[in-house]
Amino acid sequence: MLSKITVSHAPHIAKSYSTQSIMLDVILALCPAMLAGMWFFRHYAVVLLVACIGSCMLTEWACNWIRRKSNTLDDFSAIVTGILLAMSLPPALPFWAGIIGSVFAIAVGKMVFGGLGCNVFNPAMIGRAFLTASFGTLMTTWTVPAPLDAQMPALRPDSTVAVTQATPLAWSKEAIKGKAEPSVVVAQRGDAFIGRVGGCLGETSALAMLIGGVYLLIRGTISWHIPVSVLLAATICAAIGWLINPDRFVSPEVHILAGGMLMGVFFIATDPVTAPLTGKGMLIFGMGVGALTMLIRMVGEYPEGVMYAVLIMNAFTPLIDRFCKRIPAGGKGNG
Amino acid sequence: MANDAQTLSSAQVVWNGLFKENPIFGLMLGMCPTLAVTTTLQAALTMGGCVIFVLICSNLMISAMRRQLKPHLRILMFTLTIAVFVTIADQFLKAYQPEMSEYLGAYIPLIIVNCLIICRAEACASKQGLRISVIDGLAMGVGFTLSLSLLAGIREILASGKLLGMTVLPLAEDGGWFVPWAGMGFPVGAFVTLGLLLGLVVHLTRKAKG
Amino acid sequence: MANSIRLFVRESWLLIVSSFLFGLLLAVTDAAWSPRIVQNELNKFNKLAAALFGKEGTTFEPIEGISLNSSKGQPIPVDVRKAMLNGQCIGWAFMAEGSGFAGPIRLVVAADAGFEKILGFGTLVCNETPGFGDKIKIRGGFYEKQYQGAPVGPFALTKAGDPAAIDSTIVAITGATVTSDAVVAIFNRYAVAIQTQMKAKGLLSHGQ
Repeated sequence: MLSKITVSHAPHIAKSYSTQSIMLDVILALCPAMLAGMWFFRHYAVVLLVACIGSCMLTEWACNWIRRKSNTLDDFSAIVTGILLAMSLPPALPFWAGIIGSVFAIAVGKMVFGGLGCNVFNPAMIGRAFLTASFGTLMTTWTVPAPLDAQMPALRPDSTVAVTQATPLAWSKEAIKGKAEPSVVVAQRGDAFIGRVGGCLGETSALAMLIGGVYLLIRGTISWHIPVSVLLAATICAAIGWLINPDRFVSPEVHILAGGMLMGVFFIATDPVTAPLTGKGMLIFGMGVGALTMLIRMVGEYPEGVMYAVLIMNAFTPLIDRFCKRIPAGGKGNG
Repeated sequence: MANDAQTLSSAQVVWNGLFKENPIFGLMLGMCPTLAVTTTLQAALTMGGCVIFVLICSNLMISAMRRQLKPHLRILMFTLTIAVFVTIADQFLKAYQPEMSEYLGAYIPLIIVNCLIICRAEACASKQGLRISVIDGLAMGVGFTLSLSLLAGIREILASGKLLGMTVLPLAEDGGWFVPWAGMGFPVGAFVTLGLLLGLVVHLTRKAKG
Repeated sequence: MANSIRLFVRESWLLIVSSFLFGLLLAVTDAAWSPRIVQNELNKFNKLAAALFGKEGTTFEPIEGISLNSSKGQPIPVDVRKAMLNGQCIGWAFMAEGSGFAGPIRLVVAADAGFEKILGFGTLVCNETPGFGDKIKIRGGFYEKQYQGAPVGPFALTKAGDPAAIDSTIVAITGATVTSDAVVAIFNRYAVAIQTQMKAKGLLSHGQ
């Protein structure tokens, strides 16, 4: 009986958005990056994307079946999780590792909490975190993009031994430790913008991510608060390090263009479920993500910190929401 | 739970300890060692053995002195008794299993604060006779060990491909196919495995109840 | 007064009696097993130290009276042993302790007969992070190897450098700077102090 009445989570906004339309927008916005990934990493990208999306959907269906809940595949959130997870993995990762990550992301990251809308952490990042903890070596083996490497086969399943290369961020970390020159990385920034560098599937091409992000902003699927505040905080932190010691730290624009920063900014940190609800909350959240990312990149041990920064700030989201309460209509207006 | 006036048969006590009121999956007691020492099966078995010993001894002692217990001093007596046997178990491991004792470190002395043991003292031994108390200690201890071993077995196989030093899944680095999931050896592996197993147990018991 | 004593006895006689009995029980088990426990610790020390000298049949004789100054005033005794092989002194081993990233680190350090060069170290207690800090445990590994043949100290830690050079600079393990630093600190605290005291005692005069 109750199932005839749809009860959706607050906030109840009178707009024509549905979970479906938002997720479709996100998928559409991810298309340039997916295409770029397929261009740069050929069959690696295709295999990983298919494995992750497929197993995410299967896991979502299986969890619903076990819990005797109605099917939730049609909200497309599992597809988005699958794409985001695949995009944040190293291209040469074996497909079974992608499947393990996807099952973990959906089952442990989302469905145990009660499905979409109830999860505390971003499912794709949960899956990636588990893979990082489990398969450290595989998760840090980076492949050179196909256009740079004549030996990389075209769309063929039999892969030859992949040529590996340090990512710009791995170089930056070496530079911080005094084992490499930051100028090497800074010279790569043009390549990083287009995507001709090693890195995760979707995060090498800053341009493709930017196109997707701008599309989402124009469509109003995401608000400007989180992207702007993350980028601002990250730029400030990177600039401080760079101004103090340019021999150790790379310049801010490299930090913005390289690694998962842009993907995190537009697609992961803006996840409507795990980010704060109000504009003020989003600004605090975004600044936390930006600052933590840079802290991990510049001071911590890992070369990349977007994943952990987002997960840590996810944990703070309920607290931020508590402090930035939405003032109901007729109140003093909200901040 | 074994209530005051209730008289239980030995078979019931055994059934309760092993399955119906299994310390981990039924009563959810003693979670700290469950999460901490289930990295390898050998550690889990050693821990389980210590808990069985402490449970039987403390249940026996407390059951023997149950008519003399003053209500407001009983927790003190329980802890005193438990602490003595835990110290003995700890010393024994140090003397005869020095490697295991070092591996388990503080978790053996921490059995003192394992709520399973004080729960059995309070719920069973201080109310039941010697025979039932000893059987209860044994059954609860074995139930605890079984659950611990299940968890540790799953984690050890997935984290290293080995079980008690024997290769179960051939590792990729030795020419096999299995790449160990290092994450299962970390605390995250303990929490996730325990959670999934608990979910499975609840699912199955609900199904059994109809 | 008498009443309150009676009340006390009535309420707590069980506690007092059982405390005595339990105490007795613990004393008995301790008496029975403590020699074995001490022997176990000794065995572990000997096994580690013998591995450091790399010679079968090495025996160890404890040396009394070596201690470290501590900030609290009381000198801390150090367990130093003379390594003997076929009646010849082939070197010295001592136990050293300090705090690492995750709790205490206890090392067995071996030095040559003149106490001038370190032969290496083994870890008795080490709970450092698996995959990072616990690399100090690997005998002959990246970190430990830097000490083999190095002068007694003091050592300095560096993040960049040549780990193959055997000198008093130690290259840190990537990702485990705290642990690497802790081991260096342990060496700096113990090695030179022990060397000085042993020279003063005349133990090193003939290298025997």
